[in-house]
Amino acid sequence: MYSTVMTGALQGVSAYPVSVEVDVSPGLPTLSLVGSLSQEVREAKERVCVALRNAGFHLPAGRITVNLSPANRRKEGTAFDLPIAVGLLAAMDRIPGKRVENTLFLGEVGLDGEIKGVSGVLPIVREAVAWGVEQCIVPAANVLEGALISGIAVRGAASLQELFSFLLSEGGEGEALLPVVRLDAEKLFQEKAVEKVPDFSEVNGQETAKRGAEIAAAGFHNLLMVGPPGAGKSMIAKRIPGILPPLTLEESLEVTSVFSVAGLLREGETLATKRPFQSPHHSVSLPALVGGSTIPKPGMISLAHRGVLFLDELPEFQRAALDSLRQPLEEREIHIARVNGTVTYPSNFMLVCAMNPCPCGFYPDRNRCRCTEPQIRRYMGKVSGPILDRIDLCVELQTVDIASLKNCNKGESSGRIRERIVRARKIQKERFRGTKYQFNGDVEAADMEIFCALGEKEQQYMDQLYRNLNLSARAYHRILKVARTIADLAEAEQIMVEHLLEASFYRPAQEYWQ
Amino acid sequence: MGEEIRFITPFEKEYPDRLRNIPDAPSGLYVRGKLPVNKGVSVAVIGARDCSDYGKYVAEHLGAFLGRNRVTVVSGMARGIDGISQWAALEAGGTSIGVLGCGVDICYPAGNRVLFNRLLEQGTIFSEYPPGTPPRAMNFPVRNRIVSGLADAVVVIEARNKSGTLITVDMALEQGKEVFVVPGRVTDRLSDGCNKLIKQGAEILVSPEELLEELQKLKERTEERGGLRGKAGDGKAQERKLQGQVSQERKSDTESDTWLEEQSSEVPPELCDLYHALDFYPQSVEQIVARLPSDISLSQAAIQLIQLCIDKKAVQVSPGYFKGMQ
Repeated sequence: MYSTVMTGALQGVSAYPVSVEVDVSPGLPTLSLVGSLSQEVREAKERVCVALRNAGFHLPAGRITVNLSPANRRKEGTAFDLPIAVGLLAAMDRIPGKRVENTLFLGEVGLDGEIKGVSGVLPIVREAVAWGVEQCIVPAANVLEGALISGIAVRGAASLQELFSFLLSEGGEGEALLPVVRLDAEKLFQEKAVEKVPDFSEVNGQETAKRGAEIAAAGFHNLLMVGPPGAGKSMIAKRIPGILPPLTLEESLEVTSVFSVAGLLREGETLATKRPFQSPHHSVSLPALVGGSTIPKPGMISLAHRGVLFLDELPEFQRAALDSLRQPLEEREIHIARVNGTVTYPSNFMLVCAMNPCPCGFYPDRNRCRCTEPQIRRYMGKVSGPILDRIDLCVELQTVDIASLKNCNKGESSGRIRERIVRARKIQKERFRGTKYQFNGDVEAADMEIFCALGEKEQQYMDQLYRNLNLSARAYHRILKVARTIADLAEAEQIMVEHLLEASFYRPAQEYWQ
Repeated sequence: MGEEIRFITPFEKEYPDRLRNIPDAPSGLYVRGKLPVNKGVSVAVIGARDCSDYGKYVAEHLGAFLGRNRVTVVSGMARGIDGISQWAALEAGGTSIGVLGCGVDICYPAGNRVLFNRLLEQGTIFSEYPPGTPPRAMNFPVRNRIVSGLADAVVVIEARNKSGTLITVDMALEQGKEVFVVPGRVTDRLSDGCNKLIKQGAEILVSPEELLEELQKLKERTEERGGLRGKAGDGKAQERKLQGQVSQERKSDTESDTWLEEQSSEVPPELCDLYHALDFYPQSVEQIVARLPSDISLSQAAIQLIQLCIDKKAVQVSPGYFKGMQ
């Protein structure tokens, strides 16, 4: 007797179909599991056998073979338990084969028959629509994730017993046992989008730093903040996700998928509506940052997808870890190659870095800073040049004394800043329609003349700026890109002199380090 | 040239005359580069290693001025004031003597390698320690007596209280040399040592020309005292030459103010307030705005400051710090 049951396996944040083929034939009683399986999949044998017995099903004394096809791809994780159990029952004719057609099963099984949550439900269900699957049965713990996807019926099962009664039932009776769960993603999204996030109005003073953050967020530029400890660098960084435009539904599904694959969606959390903010400690290892281990898991940079990756104490990071950011910053995704294949995770994040200006933190205030020039150079030199090359804006913060903290007028709210940014992003969307770019921050030097063209007067000004400020060609282009964003924020058609001036004020610190 | 190491003792003609008269004169000197002539004027320029931008500016200008006027700059080749003034003198076509606290085959600090090589070509390197001697902390105060000994006068540019520079000054006074001090502001820790010296009665160095004049007088006095009648002609020639250069310098420098760069253009009236709020010392944009009579936003100030930078009236020292230029 033979049966096949559908399931899916993760490949990065996408998935591929897997069919579980079960055959029961006469012979010495054995159960063998094949199909390039990892340790935890092989252990499914023990879990499923015990769970089935505890659910009241006894395996026949015969030769049972279970194959997970495609057999040449490595299978990992515990989500195959449920399809194997269902496949066994179908092969034993305990459930009608018709009932498992066009149905995808996912879930881990406990010894008592409980169905436990697994990671990656959202991406698998999302892909399953394209495989012609009509319904998905997933663990009850993950049903809300799957329910976001339209065009497919998703049911959540809490135990094998419950599932089998459903599969054995006829017509409407089953509906009541395991109802289809459906969530209106749009509506949910609207509801959750108003959640409270840290607000810029809580930051007193630091006007230039806040303005720098606004420009960076508007044009998707990477930002570096330099300042002594306690000046408010982290405070500002934490508030940047709040001024980025709200996530679109599509973006939100991408973010949720990454979290789902990483198994980081909290219980009951269905859809990520806030832009992620990841702040790895500077001792972070390379695989933890970019993703990796034998089973490539998404790293911090993928968890920061569509959000902000904040690197505090930039010079303290391992050089190898920082250098590994180059590809994801360039291509907006990361390819992780392992023996069992290459996975690709998205990593379209905004990089925000913070550092002290020198080991003591007070340079260039020479009355307080006693660091020697070589010490300062060595400290700055720890930051890898290629990373600095990808930072368009640099702001410096000073310590704010208590008196001015009290007197400072309250800053603008994140909501108002966000409005300006949304408008600036809209202009950029128009500008880059049909090109490979999305934001001003992406524009490459070769296309600078098309997208960041200057008028005659402005060009003269820029030449003067280039000469008198001793700019490098690279800095010249960065100023143009940032000036374009400033002009967009001001909703100006053309880049004007004042935009160029402001952009040069925020030009990256590397220029001073050379 | 400059590759060979020579050893000279007081019994040889090449041994610097000035060192013969100081207490505890070195019994021998290792030399690389050109042997300095005993004639001519030399000035020791010394100061802090971690100097401020102000100190750097003064050291550059003084070094270059001395270099142009054929005055030898003597110093310890250290980081900061020492190295900067020596480099400026060499760049201006002058000559310089570096006195090391290690063997003459060792470049210390290693960061001054370029200066070291230039000294080998265009100046002199002295040390009383045999080649191969590593830089030891205890050697440096001792070599300072040679720095001051080789000079006719000592100029202190920036020194903290208890600075090593003050040891050199003590030795210079012991050797009877004139000490000139560049004044600083009372709020600057880097000028504390200088201001203390001024309080104790050191000469205040206001302009490089003044220094040159003083040097001239010193020279005359020594000649009178030493009764170098035979060499009087030489001395006179030297004096005339020196004076000629001074007057020439005066003319080209548009009425004194050697410290300041030539005025390029006027500051536009709308930026005047901001310009006057700037200082030689880097200040943050916040600090600058706080000094303004009128209230402008920081972002506005930032734009105007960049404008001043383009006009070469200000310098952006680091992302949020600016200082003024004349």
